[in-house]
This record gives sequence, C-alpha cells and structure tokens, in this order.
Amino acid sequence: MKKNNMVAMILAGGRGSRLFDLTKKVAKPAVHFGGKYRIIDFALSNCANSHISTVGVLVQYESILLSSYSARGSTWGLDSNGGGVYVLSPREKDETGLGLYNGTADAIYQNLDFLDQEDAEYVLILSGDHIYKMNYEKMLKAHIDAGADATIAVIEVPLKEASRFGIMNTDKTDRIVEFEEKPKQPKSNLASMGVYIFSYKTLRKYLKEDAKDSESSHDFGKNIIPDYLRDGLKLQAYRFKGYWKDVGTIDSLWEANMDLLKDNSGLDLFDASWKIYTDDPSATPQVIGEDANINNAFITQGAIINGDVEHSVIFSGAEIEEGAKVKDSVIMNNVVVGKGAKLTRCLVADDVKVPDGAVLGKKDSNEVLLVSKALIAKAGGAQ
Amino acid sequence: MSKVLGILNFEPNYVHVRGLEDFRPISATSILGRYRVIDFMLSNFTNSGIDNIKLFIKNRPRSTVEHVTHTSYNINSKRGKIHLLHGDVDYSNNDMFNVDIQAFKTYMEFIDVENPSYVIIAPSHFIFKQDFSEMLDYHIRSKNDITVLYHNSNNADRKYLMGDTIVIDKNQRISEFHKNRGKYKKAAISLETYVMSALTFKQLVEEASMTSSLYSLSDIISDCTKVMKIGAYANHGYFACISTLTAYYEANMEIKQEKELLKLINDDWPIYTMTNDSCPTLYKSGAKVSGSIIANGCQIEGTVINSVIGRNVVVREGAVIRDSVILPDTLIDKNVKLECAVVDRLSIITHIKELKGTKEEPIYIKRGDRI
Repeated sequence: MKKNNMVAMILAGGRGSRLFDLTKKVAKPAVHFGGKYRIIDFALSNCANSHISTVGVLVQYESILLSSYSARGSTWGLDSNGGGVYVLSPREKDETGLGLYNGTADAIYQNLDFLDQEDAEYVLILSGDHIYKMNYEKMLKAHIDAGADATIAVIEVPLKEASRFGIMNTDKTDRIVEFEEKPKQPKSNLASMGVYIFSYKTLRKYLKEDAKDSESSHDFGKNIIPDYLRDGLKLQAYRFKGYWKDVGTIDSLWEANMDLLKDNSGLDLFDASWKIYTDDPSATPQVIGEDANINNAFITQGAIINGDVEHSVIFSGAEIEEGAKVKDSVIMNNVVVGKGAKLTRCLVADDVKVPDGAVLGKKDSNEVLLVSKALIAKAGGAQ
Repeated sequence: MSKVLGILNFEPNYVHVRGLEDFRPISATSILGRYRVIDFMLSNFTNSGIDNIKLFIKNRPRSTVEHVTHTSYNINSKRGKIHLLHGDVDYSNNDMFNVDIQAFKTYMEFIDVENPSYVIIAPSHFIFKQDFSEMLDYHIRSKNDITVLYHNSNNADRKYLMGDTIVIDKNQRISEFHKNRGKYKKAAISLETYVMSALTFKQLVEEASMTSSLYSLSDIISDCTKVMKIGAYANHGYFACISTLTAYYEANMEIKQEKELLKLINDDWPIYTMTNDSCPTLYKSGAKVSGSIIANGCQIEGTVINSVIGRNVVVREGAVIRDSVILPDTLIDKNVKLECAVVDRLSIITHIKELKGTKEEPIYIKRGDRI
C-alpha cells in the first residue's frame, strides 16, 4: 500500500508522577508493560502497522532511556527510506534561546520546523502512554472523507466516569459542537483518547497564534480545540471501539497487566495481523522448573520459574525461586523473588530483589502494593 | 587481531536427521523453541569478534537464507557481513559429490578477495560454546599448521557415530584420525572446527580436489598427520552433534536443563536469533507445566512435562505432552497424549489421540501434517 503523508508526533515528555518510583529515572512511556513491552511500543507499533513512516517522539522528562530506545526505529520496522523515528527534545534556538516544552501545543509548535521539513500534509498527535491497538490509517480516511480540519478519536466510557475525561459533545453526524474538560455534569459519554489528526496547514496557523498568546496554557484540549470550535472549523469525532487504557497509576498499570490474563479483554496480543513490536533481548526461552506450579499466567522469555505463579504477569529475566508464591502480581524485568517469599497483589519494579521468605501485599488490599528498591531497603532496615 | 575469516561449513554426508532434513538443512532446524541450530555457531563467531563470515549452504537454502538475513548477529552492517554461498553446481543426481571441498573451490575467489591471514572453519551441525579468538591465539602460539578443536567424550559408543575421533600425542598434536564406529566408550571427538592460515586452506582444498571428487576437508586433514603439525585444542562445556533425529532430540532434552542452558547462553555469551515479535506465553487456568522450556507466543491449557515447546504452539485442554520436542506453530488439540515425540512445524494433531516413541527412537510428526 502506498504510504500516506501523515507524520505522527508522540507526546512522550511527561513524568507520570503517579507511578512514583517506576518513573523516578525513566519517563512513563518507557515503563515496562505486559511481560516484554514498553508502554510506548503500542503507539509506535500502531504507527508502523498503519503505514506511517515518519514518527517524531517528543521527549523531555528523564529522556535518556526513552530516547535511546525510541531512536532505534528498526525495532518497529520504522526504518524505511525517508522515514524513521526522530527523537525531538527541547533545543536552543537563535531567537528564543533554550526553552522547555511548555504544554502539548507548545511542544508541537516548537517542532514546526520538523513538520515543515517532512512536508507533512496531516499530523497525527498521540500520547506515548496509552495501551491500545488502533488503525490510524482508517481514522485518516474518515478525516479526509468528512472534510474535517481536525478529527479526534473518542471512546465511549460509562457516564458516571465521564467526569474524569475530556468529553466531546457531538451532533448527529458526529461533528463536535462542544468540548468539555472533566465536566461535573457530562452531557455525553464520548471521551477523548488524546489521539488527534490535524490538517497541517491550518494547525500550523493556529499553533503560531497560540504561541503569541501569553495567557494560553498551550494545550490542545484547553486551547487549540476551543480555538477551532470558536472559529467554526470542522471537528469530527472518530469513534473507536476496543481496548484502550491510560496507565497513569500503579493500580491502572497493574489492571492493564491483569487484563492480559483474560480471554475477552479486547486486547489481543496474539493477533498476528497487528503485532506489537518491541526490542528483542537475546534472552533464553522461559525455563519452567521441575517443581514449578503455574496457574493462569502471562510469562515471557528469559523468565525462570521454580516456584508457584498464580494469576500474574512475569517479565523478561525475572526469576521466581523455589517455594516462592506469586499471586495476583506483576513481576517486572530482572526481578528476583527469593526462596519462600510470598507476594500477593504486588507490582514489583525492575531489578528489585525480594529477599527469601519476605511476605508482601494483601489479598484484599485497596491498592496494589508497589514493591520498589526503596521499599525493600526500608523493610530490611526495620527488621 | 590478524585478519580472520570465518567459514561456516555445511553438514557432511554422515548427517541424517530423519524427517526434519527433508524440509531444511540442519543449520536452519529449530532448536530449544526459539533458536535455529546455526545461531550457536554464528554467535560463536561474532562473540569472538569475527564479523566476516562465509556461510556455505548445501541443499534447500530457503529457510537458512530467510533466517540469517533477518537476524542481526551483532555485526556492524557496514564493516562486517555474513555472506551466503549456495552451490551453483547441481548435485541433484548424486549428493555424494556434494562435498565441502567442491563448494570451497567454486567460491575460492570470494574467499581470496577478503585476503584473510587466517581462516576458522566451523561446522553447522554442532552446538557448543567456543571463543574462537582464544583458539586462534593458541594456534599462533603453538606454531601448528592446523589446529583442531576436540572434546573428550564418555559415550562415543552410541553418539557422534561416523564423525572423526583423534589420537593426541604428548605434544598435544594429533597423530591419527579415525572414523568413530562406536567401538569405544571414551574417545576424543573432533568438533570439525579448524584454524589454519588462508594459504594452508587453499593448498588443502587444491590437494583434496585432485585426490578425489568425494573428498571432504576433514578427509584431507586426516591424511596430513605425517606431513603437517596438526594441533589439538580442547573444548570444555556442553557439546552436541546433531547428526541423527535421536541426537537432535537428546540435545534439546539435555540443554533444556536450567544449568546447561545458562552456561551455553548468558549475558556474556548471548545467542542471537531472529525475532518473531510473538507476545509472551499465556498459561491458562488448568495448565500444568514443569521441567520444560517454553518459547513465546504459546497458549497452554493442557499439561506439559519435561518438554521443549516452540514459538506460537497451542496446547489445548486435556492434552498431555511428555518428554517431547514441539516445533513452532503447531497445534496439539484436546486430550491428545504425546510421549517422546518430535512434532515438526505447522502440524496439527487432533484426531490421533496418542503418539508414543521412545527416548532412543522418538516418533517424528511431519511438517504440516494434520493427523
């Protein structure tokens, strides 16, 4: 299929502070997920599978790992001639000097040079921290067919939860007539997924104007979309059906991992027609020892299981030693769960060594326990 | 380091892996769920810093070509390369004449053009871990004309049959080569890995081709014990010679032990292979798995004991797989019982509810079979 002239821009600069220790040194899009992935793999794989060849990744917070990871476009097949993954971090400029990205719209504004250089006709704005599978090419077709200036992907959410999202109020033709950020009394249940397609020429003009406005928060939801609506431009809602999750908290990250254990979560990672690509470490296959017990688990290569694993997700290089019992938990990369340790409803961060015999987490706790190196050190000190 | 060219030889004529060999050369045969046999030797080369490799393919090149061209063996793509050489000469009438010497002779100009000081010739049907740069250092230090890698075996009476055994004198040089006919339990097995100068290599190829059109490199080296200094260099650790279906089965069973596996493959000695972008494996409620290694992309609902399960394998409820090697992309349907089986790729076992081989003679299910 002929490649489209849509350039994707992934907003990946946020810290994700509600993930606490997980994002202390790593930006949220680079946090591990689902055994072998990083969160940003979903946006990047969706781009590759949607025949988008040029992707900008806008980084800011703790970007070393995220940048080095994203820059290797071949991981997602994003390495065609003239295409690739371009890591765009804030830079020093002749007129304005060094400036950080100050809002989502500002981040794109600061990279208009890049979009000009790539000769973009359409710009796809994405978040680097959502778990979903989506065909952006279909969305572009809807955008063109509707003759829209901007198209916003929406998903139906339960009305009682709608006040947590940016809500689109639409007419019969799904044209957006009003946008409300986290409304107290929502009029519709169509939540914005933070996935936008803009016709570039118009967007360029609006971003330049917005940049001049010192009152603006330079945000797509708060400023650019309302500006478009004010001026009567055509904004279309694009209804998405399927699995979509913003993994902003420890609990939601844990839940999204647990969804992989369900038969009908709507997120099918086995579907060969829409694979999620990721870095492939040269790990061994997964080793399941003589005395291991595994009941409902999602386990990836490099893991070594010699204990009991029930209803859990085990990431690359993790080791569950003899007699350890892991239940309702997410065990991230290179974690060692020591002999006889018992973990229930835990999310164990990368590289943590859980000592032999440790008992962590509770079956009916309100919140999932984040087991970090700091927590282990503290527990060790208390003994 | 002197300029070294790696040569990965194709399998000699004594290699007969029943069933599997009908579909691909031994080099491209799936092993341990996620690797191909050749990955171990190619990783030996690149982990030893040798990134210029001539890979000779004998028959049925498709799967080897596909695998090697899609795998990054950690080579700088501008500075190094794996050059695939597949015979231009048609030996379909008589495979006996399809020997390595003829292939080397045909492609000698591509070896000459690299202008190497040394060549390291390694086999494609062996699995072992060896730092070739250490072996080369030894070769240069010991002033050998040829250095041969070997491994002492305690079960040569039933393994490595028809391969070469060597007799080592007190100067660590080889005085005699023999064909292993299984007469002795203890023997020093040649790993068919040779280090020599490029000049010696050319001379041997020339001489062998004049001697007989059936001659192989190992034949001509065996002839030279009186006229050349042929040294022996010991390999330690695990090794397997995949020359029969039973040997293939045993290698899978032996390496899958956690200790062996981690000695052969680890962060210091990674084994590179092609990524398939399969998701992790889902063990559903009711699955029972023990003593096994499992690749990614599987969906397991049944029982798997003491087995090797390849990528994207589906094991349905009630199925029991015991002491078996299941190659990628197969489906083992409800209530099927397998014991000591080697199930080739893309096959579906659904109607036949019980298949049983023995550890000495595992049963083989053909690629793509629906039974």
